[in-house]
Amino acid sequence: MNRKLLALLATSLLVLSLVLAACAQPTATPTPEQPAATEIPETPEPPAVTEMPTPTQAPAEETPPPKVPIATYDGRSLSVPDCDYGGYIKSIEATDDYTVTFTLCKPDPAFEVKLAFGVFSIYPKEWIEATTGPTTRTSEGLEKPVGTGPYILQEWRRGESVVLVKNPNYWNQELIKNAPETLVFRWSTESAARLLELQAGTIDGFDNVGPEDFEVVKNDPNLQLVIRPALNVFYIGMTNTYPPFDNIKVRQAIAMGIDRQRIVDTFYPPGSEVASHFTPCAIPNGCAGEPWYEFNPEAARALLAEAGYPNGFKTKLYYRDVVRGYLPQVANVAQDIQAQLKENLNIEAEIVVMESGAFLEASASGKLDGFHLLGWTGDYPHITNFLDYHFGKETQQFGKIPPEIYEPLIEGGQIADVEKAAPVYERANNAIREFVPMVPVAHGASAAAYRADVVNPQASPLGNERFVFSKGGDRDTFIFMQNAEPISLFCADETDGETLRVCEQITEALFAFKINSTELEPALAESCEPNANLTQWVCTLRRGVKFHDGSDFTAEDVVATFNMGLNPGSPTHVGNTNLWEYYDYLWGLMWK
Amino acid sequence: MKERHGRARISSLDVEGLTYRSASLWQITWRRFFRRKSALVGLGILAVLVFIALTAHWIAPYDPYKPLIGIENVQRREKPCIHLLGCPKDRPQHIMGIDGNVRDQFSRLLYGARLSLVIGISTVSFAIIIGTILGAVSGYFGGWVDNVIMRFMDVLLAFPSLLLAITIVTVLGPGLINALIAISIVSIPAYARVVRAGVLSVREMDYVAASRALGGSHFHLIFQRILPNALTPLVVQGTLGIATAILESAALSFLGLGAQPPTPEWGSMLGAERNQVFTAPHLVFFPGFAIMLTVLAFNLLGDGLRDALDPRLAHISE
Repeated sequence: MNRKLLALLATSLLVLSLVLAACAQPTATPTPEQPAATEIPETPEPPAVTEMPTPTQAPAEETPPPKVPIATYDGRSLSVPDCDYGGYIKSIEATDDYTVTFTLCKPDPAFEVKLAFGVFSIYPKEWIEATTGPTTRTSEGLEKPVGTGPYILQEWRRGESVVLVKNPNYWNQELIKNAPETLVFRWSTESAARLLELQAGTIDGFDNVGPEDFEVVKNDPNLQLVIRPALNVFYIGMTNTYPPFDNIKVRQAIAMGIDRQRIVDTFYPPGSEVASHFTPCAIPNGCAGEPWYEFNPEAARALLAEAGYPNGFKTKLYYRDVVRGYLPQVANVAQDIQAQLKENLNIEAEIVVMESGAFLEASASGKLDGFHLLGWTGDYPHITNFLDYHFGKETQQFGKIPPEIYEPLIEGGQIADVEKAAPVYERANNAIREFVPMVPVAHGASAAAYRADVVNPQASPLGNERFVFSKGGDRDTFIFMQNAEPISLFCADETDGETLRVCEQITEALFAFKINSTELEPALAESCEPNANLTQWVCTLRRGVKFHDGSDFTAEDVVATFNMGLNPGSPTHVGNTNLWEYYDYLWGLMWK
Repeated sequence: MKERHGRARISSLDVEGLTYRSASLWQITWRRFFRRKSALVGLGILAVLVFIALTAHWIAPYDPYKPLIGIENVQRREKPCIHLLGCPKDRPQHIMGIDGNVRDQFSRLLYGARLSLVIGISTVSFAIIIGTILGAVSGYFGGWVDNVIMRFMDVLLAFPSLLLAITIVTVLGPGLINALIAISIVSIPAYARVVRAGVLSVREMDYVAASRALGGSHFHLIFQRILPNALTPLVVQGTLGIATAILESAALSFLGLGAQPPTPEWGSMLGAERNQVFTAPHLVFFPGFAIMLTVLAFNLLGDGLRDALDPRLAHISE
């Protein structure tokens, strides 16, 4: 009897330990010093994750003191005492119910185009406060956004679709009159699957036609192809805090040792081009300065030998298996780069495929110790959007950015005149070429496909299609299929294009882009008038606009939204990732 | 089950003047095996696969890792070009076409045979070694040892094997070696059970009791007396297990958790080109067909061995 009891006890212990081991897996894998990504250290304000110490990273020379919020907010105005914190905004003030005055620390030539970016959409003040959770937005805040847009969120069926219905109280009744009643977003990572759905007529359009399917869509009388201009860049990133990438000669050798023309010719759709600079030439000053290195494997090997690696080295090649306009065939391109590195430079790069969110976080915080394949689609058509985000002083993605690169960027960001800014951006582009924080590879053309009867088919250069303009025949439901499911629907704290596209149907910013264009048009603001030196903008807001929850849109909502995004001291400064990347990079978070 | 234990040797007998020719059990088994056509087909395919695997670096016309961009005038995902079937002589011959990275698909497929066989045999060997030890110990000692080991095996069996393998790979990180470990772990319970059943039926036999009475140690009893007489079903289980292991590793690689690019593994080749099933079907067809053929070969062989080794089926095959 005793023996049986013992056996039973031992067995149950074993099963219990198995179950416990299974449950404990996620916390068991990270190194002990490394805090989990979602964990927030015990400080009064939620600091950016990028501030966390990373044990795998090369030790920093000195640990910066913790940052202190400096902004004051009283419900009608948000201001900082001085501009030493390095950001753009000095104050935002609701002068009256329908006027907001933005006072800037320095002239910002891209002020209006920045305001048009979907991340800076306006939320109702009460909703912002009501959905504030302890460390992130409440699930209501993350999944049920309230805006002023032409569509209202009806349901997000996780893993399946997002269903939006027409907003009957939308301020532009003329526009909404002919819009489809229901707008549905679905997703599939496989371009072949998306095409099949379109051919079967179960969707009205989809994004990112596979390069091999361009001809198929063109030749099908029931479909139409809309080419999206290449306002993007694909690059091979390197983090210069990890050896051997801390050696400038190694990076230069890699810049010369990769045949980028071969990659574009083999893997990119027609209309794509090899990147001569990081910024596409369609953007003013994007191509100022010398073009990128010519492909020269002999010189590259010599340079690598000079750097102390005559026999190459072993490293890793990280990417996320996600299709974007700048990288339509990521796995193939990764393998080709791997083969070229081996062949031209004898560098053995082991391919590591990462989950998209983890990859973005690791790359943004400079934690990837090898190459990483990433790209950028312009959010607004201004060179600052390309260069400042990637090579600003605070950027950690490529390790430490040298002052030769970031100083001209600070200078150029204050010059409104394109001609005057040209020599400054020439310096910046040449410095990027010299220091090689990354290798720009391609500006990839991409395309969306629609059924032939869809009016106003869109492939916005900025990736922000506005489906209120499109309608498929006499169908009341418009179904658009994209590559991936939104990460959350609280887009003030997201960067992913697939996520922003859904939000932009629901929420609106002060300005908007015309469809299939980078041209601005007024949205929630009727106009913004600058002073002579571009440091003060007085924006007149649209009257009679209502949020989806029925509340009126006023100047206080604008101030409350920017307070939420910019003021780390505010209790409402909680989002999804808590990185507030766009607020930080485009305006600067208000702390020192 | 007990008939099987007469396997050691049927010695030459002289009963009432009739002399029986002596034949070992293995000889009888082989005779039965060779009478089954399907088993021979399996063996034949396997022989070809082993030949390919051993000689891949000689018979493959191209380097399986090297893109042919700039070396030959071929297009990405080009259709197969076989001179005998009318492909122009001035075009380079690629009998299974070109893959998405402009590499020769045929060469990759040949190297893939090597990998698949290694995966199948190594995972099953590992699983058999661990499974046999666990099963033998469990069956021989019985009692709480048996209970603990077999309940642990039951826990492993309770998970769908592929799901458990995915879990293990997720913890260990993607990669071929980790996938092998995962598949091995997942297949251990099957072998442990088979060996335990064999041991249970043998351990009470008279010759074992005699050995024990003569003071044989546990080790001696298990490995010298019992196991050799309880291993037959393991041969069958192992052969069939190789097929399962190859399928599971292909599934893991298809999901991106097994062999990492550019390794020419059939499952990952299939996974990489799954989007091209309509535009370049040859890239999906050939790796899929190779997996099917290999699995079929092992299954036919396993079935043949089972029939040949099981005396209860003797009258069917003879």
